[in-house]
Amino acid sequence: MTVMDGGKKPVIEFKDFSFQYKVQSKPTLFDINLTIYEGEKILLLGPSGSGKSTLANCINGLIPVSIPGKIEGSLKVAGMETRDCDLNQLSALVGTVLQDSDAQFVGLSVGEDIAFALENMNMPRDRMIPLVEKSASIVGMESFLNHLPYKLSGGQKQKVALAGVMHEDVRVLLFDEPLASLDPQMGMIAVDLIDRICRSERKTVLIIEHRLEDVLYRPVDRIILIDGGRIILDTTPEDLLRRYDLLAHGIREPLYITAMKYAGCNLDEEDILSHVSGMTITPGNRDKLIHFFQKEAPSSIEAGKEELIRVTEASFTYSSKLPNALDRVNCVIHKGEIVSLIGENGAGKTTFARMICGISRPQAGTVEIDGKSYLTLSIREIGERIGYVMQNPNQMIVKSIIKEEVALALTLRGMSEDEIDKRVEKALRMCRLYTMRHWPVDAVSYGQKKRITIAAILALEPDAIILDEPTAGQDYHNYTAIMEFILTLNRDYGKTILFITHDMHLAIEFTDRAIVFAKAEIIADSSVFEVLSDDGIISKASLKQTSLYTLATKIGLEPRQVIRHFVAYEKAVRANGR
Amino acid sequence: MEDKFIINFTLGDTPLHQLTGTTKVRFFLCLIAFLIAVWDIRIILPLLFLFAAGIVSTRPYWKPIRFVFTVVTLMNLFNLVLFFLFNPTIGEIWTGTFTQFGSISGRYVLGYETLWYFGVRFSKMMATFLLCMAFILSITPSEFAAGLSSLRLPYRFCIIVELAFRYIPDLLRDYKDISVSAQARGSETDKRKASIFRRIKSSLLIIVPLIFTSFSKVGDIANAMDLRGFGRLKKRSWYSERPPGRADRIVQFVGLLFLLATVYFTLMRLFNPHNPEMWYPYNDLTTYNWRILP
Repeated sequence: MTVMDGGKKPVIEFKDFSFQYKVQSKPTLFDINLTIYEGEKILLLGPSGSGKSTLANCINGLIPVSIPGKIEGSLKVAGMETRDCDLNQLSALVGTVLQDSDAQFVGLSVGEDIAFALENMNMPRDRMIPLVEKSASIVGMESFLNHLPYKLSGGQKQKVALAGVMHEDVRVLLFDEPLASLDPQMGMIAVDLIDRICRSERKTVLIIEHRLEDVLYRPVDRIILIDGGRIILDTTPEDLLRRYDLLAHGIREPLYITAMKYAGCNLDEEDILSHVSGMTITPGNRDKLIHFFQKEAPSSIEAGKEELIRVTEASFTYSSKLPNALDRVNCVIHKGEIVSLIGENGAGKTTFARMICGISRPQAGTVEIDGKSYLTLSIREIGERIGYVMQNPNQMIVKSIIKEEVALALTLRGMSEDEIDKRVEKALRMCRLYTMRHWPVDAVSYGQKKRITIAAILALEPDAIILDEPTAGQDYHNYTAIMEFILTLNRDYGKTILFITHDMHLAIEFTDRAIVFAKAEIIADSSVFEVLSDDGIISKASLKQTSLYTLATKIGLEPRQVIRHFVAYEKAVRANGR
Repeated sequence: MEDKFIINFTLGDTPLHQLTGTTKVRFFLCLIAFLIAVWDIRIILPLLFLFAAGIVSTRPYWKPIRFVFTVVTLMNLFNLVLFFLFNPTIGEIWTGTFTQFGSISGRYVLGYETLWYFGVRFSKMMATFLLCMAFILSITPSEFAAGLSSLRLPYRFCIIVELAFRYIPDLLRDYKDISVSAQARGSETDKRKASIFRRIKSSLLIIVPLIFTSFSKVGDIANAMDLRGFGRLKKRSWYSERPPGRADRIVQFVGLLFLLATVYFTLMRLFNPHNPEMWYPYNDLTTYNWRILP
C-alpha cells in the first residue's frame, strides 16, 4: 500500500474485510486490507477459485445485494460503505464488464445495448443519443450502432459491453477475465483499449485475470495476487516477476521469463522485467541465453506415420448464399499425433473438426478414415472412430451419476451389460474417475466435469479425439492437470489428439504440429515453432507473436531456432517432471 | 440470420417502418378492436386492401410470408366449413332472411345469406391477418417493447419481449451444438432409422443439457442487467423510441377515430339490439325476422 503516493484519493478501501457466501460453510475472502487510489490500473491476479471474482463482485455491489452472504469489516467505494448502498448507487460508480460477453449483451442492437444503463436512468432520448455515440466512439464502435449482436465477434461484443458501462459518472471500471473468450490478437487489442481508456478517461481500472503475460502487454501500476481467499501480495509487476514463484499460486509466468530461468539468467541484473520489448538484457544474461539456445535441441519423438484421416480438396458451406466455410482444404492426420487447429473465430477450425466427425459433410472433395471414404458411415459410426468433446461440458452431460454418463454412448448402442461395464471401468480408470464413479455429476468441479465428458467419449474406444478449447477459462493449475491427462491418453494409450484452440501457450507446449486456418483455408500445416516464427502466418491468422520471438530478435538469434529449442526443452522438462 | 424470420431486427426505411413503436402499437390495437366490432363488408374490404398495400410497402422477404399466408387461408376456410357443419343456416341469424338456392342433404341447405355471411367473415379474418402481418413486418422487437410500455404496461413485462428475441437465436445455436454432440455419441434422430419412442428418448439427450446451459446463462444475464441499473426507477426511457413526427400524429389520430367508431358500434349494438347485425343489400325489411341478439 506504499506504492502510490499519499496525495491521491482512495476510491476503494477494504478494511479487515471478509465475506462468506450464504450457501457456504467457510468464508471465501479473509482479512482483506486493500486501498485502491483514483486513476490506478490494477491487476487482480489469482487462480480459479481464489476469490478474485468474489472480490470484484463485492466492489460492484452484486455482493451482498444480488448474491447474499455475510460481510465483516468494511468496504468503502468512493467513501460509501457498500453494505449501506443499493446496487444502483454502486453501479453508477463502478462499471463492470463481465466475462461472458455474449450473455451480457442485453440489447437487440449495439446502440441499444450501450444505451441500456441510460434507459434505466429514465434519461430522455435526446440526451441519451449523444452519450451513446460518444461512448461508442471511445471504443471504436461508432459505425456499428445498428448492428445486431449475432453478427459481432467476441471482441466487438466486449467493446460494446465496455461502452455500455462507461457513462459519465463511472469512476471505476472492472473487467472480469476480459481475455477468456478472445483470440490472441483480439486479446492484445482489448488490453490496449483498456489501457487507453484508463489513461484518457481517467478511470480507475481493475482487471481480473490469470493470464499475466497477456495483461502485461500494457503496463499496470500494481498487481494484487490473491489465492485461497487472501491477498498474498500487493506489489509492482517488476517486483512480482523478480521475486515470487507464481507457479506455486497457479499462475503462469511470462514465456520469456521462463526461458531466461531455463538459461540460468540472473533476473536481478535486469532493471525491467515486466515487458520483453523494454528489457535491456545485460551482457551476462545475453551470453547465457545465446549459449542455452545454441545447444543442440533435444530431439522430439516422431509420431508414427500410419495414416488415420485424409482430407482431400474438401469444401463445405452452410448455405449456398454464404461463402464457403471451408475452401478446398487438404491435410493428413497420422495415428498417434497431437495436432492443434488454430486460427481466429470463424476461420474454419470448428467447421473442419465437425467435418472430420461427419457432422458437416463436405459438399466437394473427400474425407477418408483408414483410407476409406467415410460417406457411407453415419455420424454415429464415425463417432466410434473419432470422438468430439465440446468446449462446455454442460452442453454434453445428460445423466446425473458419473458412471451412467460415461456409459451412455454404449447403452445407446445396445451393448451387453458386461461389455459396457468393462469399457466404462477402463474409461473411468484412464480418466482417474473410477473412485468417483457413483458420485453425482453436480458434485464435481469444472475440470472434473471436463474429464467426465472425455471419459464418456473414451468409452467408445475411438482412435482419435477432437477437443474444442479444452482449457478455456482454466487457470494454470487446472490447465496443466487437464493437459497432462490428455497427454497420457496420447502417450500411454496411443490416442490421436486434435485440439481446437486460441491458446498459443497450449499449442507451443503440448502439440507437435499446428494446422492454421484463415478465411476458410488452411494457410499453414507445419510444426508449431515454424508457424509461430512466421510473421506472415501470425498476422493472417490473428495469432500473436510470442514473447520468445521478441526475445530472440533482442539477443540476435533466429526466432525459429529459439522457439524450437524452447518447445523441445519444455517437453523434456515435463517428461522428467518439473 | 434475420432473413430467415418474418420478424425484423433492424429497421427498414419505408414509411411504415419509420413510424415510432408507440404509434405502431397503438394504431394496431385500435384497428384490431375495430375489426372485431365491424361486420360491414363495405368497410372491411377497403381495409383489407389497405393492409395488403401496407405489407407490400414494407418490401418484405416474401418466402416465409407466403408460407404463413397459405396456412392461415386454409385454416380460415376450414373454420368456415366447421361453421357450416354446425349451423347451415347461420346466415339467417346475421341478416334476418334466408333464401335457399340448393341443398346437399337433410338439414344441410345452401342459402345466399350463408354465403354472404361466410364471405364477410372470411374477409374479416383475412383483414385481421393482414393487419397483424403488416404490424409484425413494420416493427422491431425493441420498438414493440417501447410501444407496449407507452400503454402504461410495467416495463419489466415489456422488456421480456425484447429479451426473448435477443436470446432465442442463442438458444437455437446451443440446441444445434448439443444435438450434434448427442448424435456423435450415438443418439439417433433420423426418422428412417429409429422409432418414435426412441427418438423421443434421444431428444431428452438434447433437452437436459440445453436447460442446464440456459439456466447458467440466465444468472449472467440477470447480473448484467442488475449491474446496469435495471429496475432502479419506476419509469424507464427507450433508446428505440424515436421522437414522433407529423406522420405519427396523423396515424395516431386516425387510430383514435377508429377506436371511437368501435365504441360507437358497440354502444349501438348494446342499446339497439333490434337492428340487423350485418349490412346485407338484398334485405327485404318487410319480411325481416326481428330477432333477439344472443
